[in-house]
Amino acid sequence: MTALSASQSPTHWWQSRVVKRFLSHRLALLGLLMIGLLTLACVVGPYLLPYDSLFIDLRARFAAPFTGDHYLGTDPLGRDLAVRLLMAGRISLLVGFFAMVLSILVGMLVGVVGGYRGGWVNTVLMRTVDGFLSFPTIFLLLALAAALQPSPVMITVIIAVTSWMEVARIVEAEVRSLKEREFVLAGRMLGLSGAHIMFREILPNVMGPIIVAATLTVARAILLEAYISFLGFGIQPPLPSWGNMLNGAQQYLDSAPWLAIIPGVAITIAVSSFNFIGDGLRDAFDVRNDSF
Amino acid sequence: MPAFLLKRFMQSIVLLVIVSIIGFVVLNLIPGGPLAQYALDPGMTEADKARLAEQLGLNRPILVQYFDWAWRLLQGDWGTSFRDGNSVLSVIGRHVLATFLLMGSSTAIAIGIGTWIGIRGATHRYSIFDYAATVGAMVALSIPTFWFGLIGIYVFALRLGWLPAGNMYTIGDGSVLDYLHHLIMPSVVLALVHIAIWSRYMRTATLDAISQEFVKTARAKGVTERRVLMKHVVGCALLPMITLAGVQLPSLLTGALVTETVFTWPGMGRLFLDSLGYSDYPVVMGLLMFSAILTIVGNLIADIAVALIDPRIRLA
Amino acid sequence: MTSQNNSKTGFSRRSALRMMAAGGAAGLIAPNLLGKPAFASTPPATPTGRIVVGLSQEPTVFNPLMPHIEVDDAFDFSVFDALFRINADGVIIPNLATEVPSQANGGISADGLNWRIRLRDDVTWHDGTPFTAEDVKYTLQLIVNPDFRAWRTTGHSLVRDITVVSPTEITWRMEEAFAPYLSFLTETFMVPKHILEKEADPNQAAFNQAPIGTGAFKWGQRLAGDRLELVANPDYFGEGPYIEQLIFKYIPDMTVLYAQFKSGDVDLVGQAYISPDHYQEAKNLPDRVVTAEPKGSVESIYLNQELPQLQDRAVREALYLAMDRTAIIDALYYGVPSPTETFMPPQSYYFNPNLPKQEFNLDRARKILDEAGWVPGADGIREKDGVRLSFSNSTTVGNHLREQTQQFLQQTFGEIGVEMTIANLPPAVMWGEYWGLSQFESAMVGITYLVGGDPDVTYRFHTDAIAAKGGNGSNNAQYSNPEVDALLVEGSRTFDPEKRREIYFKVQEIIRHDLPFLPMFAYTNVYGRKAGIEGFEVNTNTRTESWHAAAWYWA
Repeated sequence: MTALSASQSPTHWWQSRVVKRFLSHRLALLGLLMIGLLTLACVVGPYLLPYDSLFIDLRARFAAPFTGDHYLGTDPLGRDLAVRLLMAGRISLLVGFFAMVLSILVGMLVGVVGGYRGGWVNTVLMRTVDGFLSFPTIFLLLALAAALQPSPVMITVIIAVTSWMEVARIVEAEVRSLKEREFVLAGRMLGLSGAHIMFREILPNVMGPIIVAATLTVARAILLEAYISFLGFGIQPPLPSWGNMLNGAQQYLDSAPWLAIIPGVAITIAVSSFNFIGDGLRDAFDVRNDSF
Repeated sequence: MPAFLLKRFMQSIVLLVIVSIIGFVVLNLIPGGPLAQYALDPGMTEADKARLAEQLGLNRPILVQYFDWAWRLLQGDWGTSFRDGNSVLSVIGRHVLATFLLMGSSTAIAIGIGTWIGIRGATHRYSIFDYAATVGAMVALSIPTFWFGLIGIYVFALRLGWLPAGNMYTIGDGSVLDYLHHLIMPSVVLALVHIAIWSRYMRTATLDAISQEFVKTARAKGVTERRVLMKHVVGCALLPMITLAGVQLPSLLTGALVTETVFTWPGMGRLFLDSLGYSDYPVVMGLLMFSAILTIVGNLIADIAVALIDPRIRLA
Repeated sequence: MTSQNNSKTGFSRRSALRMMAAGGAAGLIAPNLLGKPAFASTPPATPTGRIVVGLSQEPTVFNPLMPHIEVDDAFDFSVFDALFRINADGVIIPNLATEVPSQANGGISADGLNWRIRLRDDVTWHDGTPFTAEDVKYTLQLIVNPDFRAWRTTGHSLVRDITVVSPTEITWRMEEAFAPYLSFLTETFMVPKHILEKEADPNQAAFNQAPIGTGAFKWGQRLAGDRLELVANPDYFGEGPYIEQLIFKYIPDMTVLYAQFKSGDVDLVGQAYISPDHYQEAKNLPDRVVTAEPKGSVESIYLNQELPQLQDRAVREALYLAMDRTAIIDALYYGVPSPTETFMPPQSYYFNPNLPKQEFNLDRARKILDEAGWVPGADGIREKDGVRLSFSNSTTVGNHLREQTQQFLQQTFGEIGVEMTIANLPPAVMWGEYWGLSQFESAMVGITYLVGGDPDVTYRFHTDAIAAKGGNGSNNAQYSNPEVDALLVEGSRTFDPEKRREIYFKVQEIIRHDLPFLPMFAYTNVYGRKAGIEGFEVNTNTRTESWHAAAWYWA
């Protein structure tokens, strides 16, 4: 059930069964490829296109895709949609990535401490997790976004605040089951400190589920950013994000449907890719977890 | 079992208290307040607003306001909406039906389609259908619900003109057929994610069941494949599905919120957004508590269901 | 587009006002002033048919004295009556009263302190009880009752010694002369004493959910979150009603509201009306009458005068020069609204048409900033004495046209070396202390300055009205000019329209020069109704399309 324990690790990581199994997962490879391409496009693309993502030209507003100089058309202010899409990708992917890092760190800490210490510490931590999970995520997200100035950093933090609980649960369960294993007991007999055992001995053995959770959290974070920005509470203009490009697209659905279609396709591709990778990793690590 | 229920009940109460505190604190972090809606009223002065804040008790310390709110709640008084002067319960009550209608019909769709895809995927394991269903489910989980709604409106309302673009009914009509007509698109949109989850779950559950002894026995007895499947497999898989339904409740609410926004559906999601935008604290808190209770009850049902199916899991 | 007929309406208003000043004669000819198109057919003898008014917000407050928002006015004007009514030409005419008090007719004493109102004797509440001066007294007292959650108290708080002389006559004394009070009274709806006095707590009265008024329509039923149904009051003392049922349908989305108007589910588009982007299409709809008419509010950029970088008038002038208003109006707002230079609605009698016209001139803007000593820093943003010429602009999140305008302005401001960042907030945050106590740096906001058409703007521009400095009012830009202060005080104590006009012309001139806010345009509402509806008239002196639904009928 659990991932590799210390004794099993091979000499080189790329020789491991995990990597081999992952590489045989075609969808996961496709996802990896897509993310690679998307990231590359977002990093390099804006330099190659002859437009500025913020430059407004009211004469060029509502140009349809593939018609003129603008590959993907323009928005209601006449800005080039292609370059905005790529700049938005930078924001959305960065928000997704850092929200994941933050929520994994918090979730891991809570999970390891709760699982290892047990007792009232565990009770308090896990009830807090339950409390957070009892909010429909979007309620908490929106309330927080209304309370704080929604800069990209804030949005990242807010998404992390609503995404760490699942990781905490997974890690806590794993740690609780590992706690009584020989190598932990041995460590304790050797007089190693609690922190050492928790983070040096136990944690590496929970890395499998954590990596899987991390991948899926990125996917989820990108979606959440899209939700709150769509509702107007997220990333503020003129900075583009995939979500806020969709905000307001509904009123032009009839006259300029590409405004709604294009960013949505980008989100779907990015999120599916991370989900594919996550699925591949889950198979590779042989993690059984239906919570995602 | 009663001991377990009691313990879970107590835990739920504690949970609700935590939820209410988090909610209250977060809401009070939001600057401004319900009186902001009068800010642009040409004849209303700051003095008028200060007087109203005093009369409504909005300028009391947060702690006092919280305990006042909680104390009233314990007596069954959920408070009064600042926006429309009605009791919070009646405000929520007005919107709850629209949301439940949407959630109910989309759950029905998700169960129907999801079950079919799941069973078919399991019985035709590794077929093209199975593979497509797997990939499709993952993609479905990756599509933003509101965007799927937008695309739906574009295709079926604006281009084809088959379905209405929003609202729950046509004014002056309001027949059952009219409601159904308006219900189709939002409930399918909301169901998408759940079809995906449901079908994956059903596939696993069916595979588990197929491999179990009694199915093999039944088959050996000469009962037809189809009957075995329908009776035993679905029977075994259904309880875990209830579990899933319980656990999925919060995500259903999240989906309902954005779906309602896109389709201007007069449910709790829209109410929440409006009330949040205008800092109608009593209504926002009421909705938070309401959904938290739903979630907790959902989880409780899930736990009980799990315990009933699998006696190995101790009710601890 | 709608400004061409300004001079014409201006004339009629002026003459009407003279008449009013000349001795309250307006009361006698009141029914004729509620003008009808010449081709109109005659209304039916008994109320027939129903009209569905689509509203994008839901009327939820049914006690007209309690805090409510614009959309609730549609209900209040239909079910209740005030002592006076302001008509579409800006003339105050009697409603429950028989004449409009003035210094000329003796209704208001020469010092403006003693008021006498004469009331009609043929008015009954919807439950049949006669309406008397006692109801007026009760209403005015309830508003200032400290336990009652009243809406506005401006003006009412100055009223003393209310005396019921007879069932049809009431007098009171004002603590100080306050000319705008007459206008406030056009929006002060009378409530029934015999019902409310029995209630222990008027805030929680049953009346508040099933009100009884004197108006042309009676409470029918409410399907909360959906619609409000009113039925004709056959015993109405005034003109109408001609329709049997008046329905306010709540449609929370303007696009859907328009779609329902197009499909015919909604007979008349009310509050927030048809959005500018649909105007061209709507005009060509068959069997629909769609008109664009100015309303009493002005869209502008409010500049917080306490911010060092915005204190300099040169900066404000340069910013104004850097606004391409034509592009904003024509491209983003589809050419619907019209540019303006003042807070005064263009259709007002007090509107000053002689103010200098704004021009879009980036070179001049740069020159002004150069001359004022604001020089570009390393990043291209101008600086002076260590102050960067950078500020944020805020408005309500989710208002797409405003967000587009902000981004457009951001670009042209950038071209003259000014940085404007965007910080939009949810409504409750934006219009909370952030706006009220002037914590914003600049704001994009549409403001209705006049109450009931009265030109008094003391609460917007007087130094003592800066709430952030402990004042009482909504001078959110923290604008302070002693000359304006003096003029505003004079204006609020002057009852003669001609004299007031001079005063407010001067006020507009100074404010146009000082630019505490940068006017963008005067709002224009796009009204739409089915072709068969007659008797509909737009009244920019009120906040609602349904200010006189009593006159509506199906041809």
